[in-house]
Amino acid sequence: MLTGVSAPSEGRASIIGYDIMRQSIEAKSLMGIVPDISNIYDEISAWSNLIFTAKLYGVPRARRNERAKELLTRFGLYDRRNDKVGEFSSGMRRRVCIAMALMNESKLLFLDEPTVGLDVESVIVIHELIRSLNEEGLAIFLTTHNIEEASQMCDRVAIINRGKIVAIDTPESLKRAMKGVQSIEVAFKREMPGLQAKLERLLSVKGVEKRGDKIRLLTDDPPRVLKELWRLIEDNKLEPITMNTLGPSLEEVFLELTGRAMEAEVIHKKGSR
Amino acid sequence: MDGVTQFDELKRSWAITMKDMRIYFLRPGTLASGILFPVALFFSFAVGRNIPNDLLIPVLAAQTILWSSSSIGPAAFPLERRMRTFERYLSAPISLFAVLWGKTMAGVIFGLGITVAATAIGAVVIGVTITNIAAVAIGVVLSAIVFSAMGTLFASIPSENPGEVIMPLNLVRIPLMFVSGMFIPIESLPRAGAYAALVSPLTHTLDLLKVGFGGTSHFGWPINIAVLVIWVIVFLILSQMLHEFFDRKRR
Repeated sequence: MLTGVSAPSEGRASIIGYDIMRQSIEAKSLMGIVPDISNIYDEISAWSNLIFTAKLYGVPRARRNERAKELLTRFGLYDRRNDKVGEFSSGMRRRVCIAMALMNESKLLFLDEPTVGLDVESVIVIHELIRSLNEEGLAIFLTTHNIEEASQMCDRVAIINRGKIVAIDTPESLKRAMKGVQSIEVAFKREMPGLQAKLERLLSVKGVEKRGDKIRLLTDDPPRVLKELWRLIEDNKLEPITMNTLGPSLEEVFLELTGRAMEAEVIHKKGSR
Repeated sequence: MDGVTQFDELKRSWAITMKDMRIYFLRPGTLASGILFPVALFFSFAVGRNIPNDLLIPVLAAQTILWSSSSIGPAAFPLERRMRTFERYLSAPISLFAVLWGKTMAGVIFGLGITVAATAIGAVVIGVTITNIAAVAIGVVLSAIVFSAMGTLFASIPSENPGEVIMPLNLVRIPLMFVSGMFIPIESLPRAGAYAALVSPLTHTLDLLKVGFGGTSHFGWPINIAVLVIWVIVFLILSQMLHEFFDRKRR
């Protein structure tokens, strides 16, 4: 809806001051869009793809070639500019797609799942590109299911559940707001039978999760759990290998928020029966 | 910021035409339906029948322009939907009409190129000459726009498979040839057939071409031109409406 591809059923949105419905041509001129799949023309070269996009956005003839050269060089594709993009790897196609979105010197870039399906090396390259574009002043609107990516890349994160924004803030503020999902992670050299049940009985522990060879104790009072845990270790002569206090990850914030919303929905449905 | 003028829209739609020419003109499906079909149909019509030479070329040209001009849209739109490149147009600063016009023009150029080549070769081999160049030029250009717009209209069928667009289009293209005075003279058609001939754009293509090659028009050239112009407008307006409707439903 923000890109003008589909029409909203209600409400309004503006892109850099232009209403996306009433001034769609002006709004679209100022943005670049990279969808979740690289929708580029396989039958023509990277250069032709960029030039075609420039023509579609009305970039003046003199600027087209200059801009295409600039972007292909920056994205490491200039040497392959005359090759058909159908012969490119997924990572290269993604870079062509982002370059196409930048041909009109957009002020706002929409990136939909920019790294999905890419190998690790390509992901790193794309992340570096996004960061450097952002540092140069380009506003980037990134949609992703990869919470870690959102946490690493974004200044502000909006969590959407069933079409509604349930939280919007900086990643760190969102994490801080979730004190209830702090935890202590501990791994023992050797586990004793019934250890998990004993940990669950600690007064300040709200929940226990087994994660590989580690046990995570969920709490809203980590210092108190540490004291209780240390007592348990001494009483049972356990040998801890690692012990870490962890803040909530953005993933946990997401699960907490979307889970709460789902619970509320179930309660609402039960109540309305 | 500066607005987008109609001239800007025209330039952007021309960019779509040029891109489509590079991508779709040499696809096997396009070549089969744009060249093979009309040539095969022409030979099945001409071989072994005592048809006057000055009718053969108008029939060849009319068939070729029908099949070739209407073959780009039905290939290009579904493939662009499948590759999701069609979304590029929807998110670009260009109106849907300019997109449809750009794609229609690709069909027009394809149709013109093949028809001019086929007609020129046919005319040299058979030994007929153009007697009214204006009638041929107007007939070929207008018909190319009509049939290309017809292809664009059928391409609004919300499919990602060209076959699902070409099949219903053939259900119109093939009957058109039987009610347009191509195989059966209009005078010999039953009353309903004669009415169908009047509204069929192919009748008027053939009529204008007959005038161009020394024959006479059944309905008269002003009616021929008027009917073709009306079909251009109808096909383009319907295309815009149906593409908008189905694209909204798809999303």
